[in-house]
Amino acid sequence: MIAVQDLTYTYPGAKDPALSRLSLTVPAGQVCAVIGANGAGKSTLCHALTGFIPHFFRGTLQGELRVADLSIPDTPLAELAGTIGLVFQNPFNQITGARFSVLEEVAFGLENLGIPREEILDRCRSALELTGLQNLADRSPFDLSGGQMQRLAIASMLAMRPRLLVLDEPTSQLDPAGTEAVFLHLRQLASTGQTTVLLVEHKLEWIAAFADRVLVLSAGSLAADGPPRQVLGSADLERAGLRPNRYTLVARRAQELGLASAAPLPVTLEQAVEFLG
Amino acid sequence: MARIKQDFGTLTLVMIPVAIALNIAVGQLIYSLKIPLYLDSIGTVLVGVLAGPWAGALTGLLANLIWGLSGLNVAYAPFAAVAAVIGLMAGLFGEGGWLRRWWKVILAGLLTGLVAAAISAPISAYVFGGVTGSGQDVLVAMFRGMGLGILPASFGQGVTSDPLDKMATYLLVWLIVRGLPSRFKARFPRAGGVV
Amino acid sequence: MSQGFSLYLARDSGLHRLHPLTKLSLAATLLVAAFALPGPWSSYAVFLLVLLPLAAWGRILPGFLRSVARSVLPFALSLFLIQGLLWPGGSPVARLGPLSLKAEGLAFALASTGRILMIVSSFLLLALSTRPDLLMIALAQRGFPSTLSYIVVTTIQIVPYFQGKARAILDAQRSRGLETEGGLRRRLRALLPLVVPLVLSSILDIEERAIALEARAFGRHGTKTSLQVLSDSRAQSVLRWAILALAPLLLVAGLVL
Repeated sequence: MIAVQDLTYTYPGAKDPALSRLSLTVPAGQVCAVIGANGAGKSTLCHALTGFIPHFFRGTLQGELRVADLSIPDTPLAELAGTIGLVFQNPFNQITGARFSVLEEVAFGLENLGIPREEILDRCRSALELTGLQNLADRSPFDLSGGQMQRLAIASMLAMRPRLLVLDEPTSQLDPAGTEAVFLHLRQLASTGQTTVLLVEHKLEWIAAFADRVLVLSAGSLAADGPPRQVLGSADLERAGLRPNRYTLVARRAQELGLASAAPLPVTLEQAVEFLG
Repeated sequence: MARIKQDFGTLTLVMIPVAIALNIAVGQLIYSLKIPLYLDSIGTVLVGVLAGPWAGALTGLLANLIWGLSGLNVAYAPFAAVAAVIGLMAGLFGEGGWLRRWWKVILAGLLTGLVAAAISAPISAYVFGGVTGSGQDVLVAMFRGMGLGILPASFGQGVTSDPLDKMATYLLVWLIVRGLPSRFKARFPRAGGVV
Repeated sequence: MSQGFSLYLARDSGLHRLHPLTKLSLAATLLVAAFALPGPWSSYAVFLLVLLPLAAWGRILPGFLRSVARSVLPFALSLFLIQGLLWPGGSPVARLGPLSLKAEGLAFALASTGRILMIVSSFLLLALSTRPDLLMIALAQRGFPSTLSYIVVTTIQIVPYFQGKARAILDAQRSRGLETEGGLRRRLRALLPLVVPLVLSSILDIEERAIALEARAFGRHGTKTSLQVLSDSRAQSVLRWAILALAPLLLVAGLVL
């Protein structure tokens, strides 16, 4: 699904590249989490996988960048829309404003794709149900709370049924219940095999529970790549400027005090219980 | 035609509603502060300076039509042509590099204000009988009392308020554009004439 | 559903059910009539005989009258006072202290007010009975560029957000000690810390908004479909052409009479 080889990208006017010889292969249907310190290149990677780099941000791009069998630098942005989806952090900026109701806002992308009217209605209804917004279908998109707006942004992308859905810190405005709902939907979506999910997140507990794979970005390159337990429990995490989650920290302390056996360290509550038990 | 298309990338398109909303929000803010300015073209001038004369003209035109036809303040609609010219001039001044020196900025504002007053006067005279329906009509009364015709009185009223307002608008836009990160300004090919 | 900052009043009425372009044609022809019709009384006649009944049919009469009054009265006041009293060298009709009402001034004020009344009420009738987004969709279906309808609908919806942002910045700066009352100089000094942050933060949002729009395939060139279906009929289509055909006729009548 994603085939990146030696990707190097520099923003226009910048001295140093934001991504440096990054190589990555992601199969279809995987839920891939991307973590890293601020400035590590996570948002840059999101923009590159969705075509906004290089088409929107320009700059210099070298290396191979293929998503869904399309060469990103050679495919115009308008052709990528629908196949590749992007959700980002600021809810207000993702409401296009072009439509007066939540339902129509979700339908907007499908109208642009030329999907027949009956199918639009079906897809919108299921997207609204998936994000828990079905009772707000007639409301104005600007009449929603920040969390509701973010769920609307996600619903709008889900309705377009992209083959790759990239989410850049989508849950920062959501409460724990909302966050869990989002992660569950993404998991469900990916399990159909029709959608691959790439998620940039800071909430390590959630990643540990829901992701198939964790990528650690540091200074524009991959510092670690593997299943959650392996990556989130390892010492590489701190080298990349991140802090392990509390389950890991507690377990490590227990290890230091001789109260528990050797690795692998737990990264979820269940694993911690097992580890310390 | 190709140049117009080039000017209207998605970035410019998305900026226009924001600019029009800023016209309205800033205009209302100024009104509530009881400052004797309008500043209701600030978004229009900004678009002109960043995205070029055609984008600026469209912003001004639509700003007045929307403001007027939405019913919020119907008086704005007939002056859509004036607002379009303001946006157009801002774009031309921007391209001409006038926003590189503070004194040129003030001069650009002055000229824009004079042209705006000149175009507004016949519209005001023909559509609204030479009055503005606001406190500015004190000026109209004064000029009429002096024996001036409807059109000259209208122009007199415009000339006492528009240039000052546009000078203040251009100065604010100049300060704002200087405050924008250069990475952002680089996105606008026309903004090469600014700072 | 709130409609941003439009004046639209939702009602169950025949006027509301008319196709948006029918109402737009009516407003356009009335606009031409405002300038073409002769004499000061024709505008008032059209207002009484055409616009008021239509507003009543649309069940928006109270709101309609209120909005019309709010828009027209300031002009009427200025017109009768200024042009009525200060008409240079005219035939006096009545005395008002040291000043006198001139006949020419009054006639002028009457005619101008009538024209303003017609223009304002035509567009208010349109605005109060037509959902702006449906009007833009109707125009888009007739070939109106989607970029223009995007601008109009988005503007209407985001204005309240920016008004709120302006208020929030005002409150924040006031709590930091910004003086917004008092002498003119003090109020002018408040201008910069209020306007500049508002505009700067709004501008920086634009990049993300453009990305979001592209991600929703707005830049795609193929045929687009529409969720909304607008009810239209042959009869309305004929009516529209008939209304629009009146406009040149009115112009000619105005020139001849």
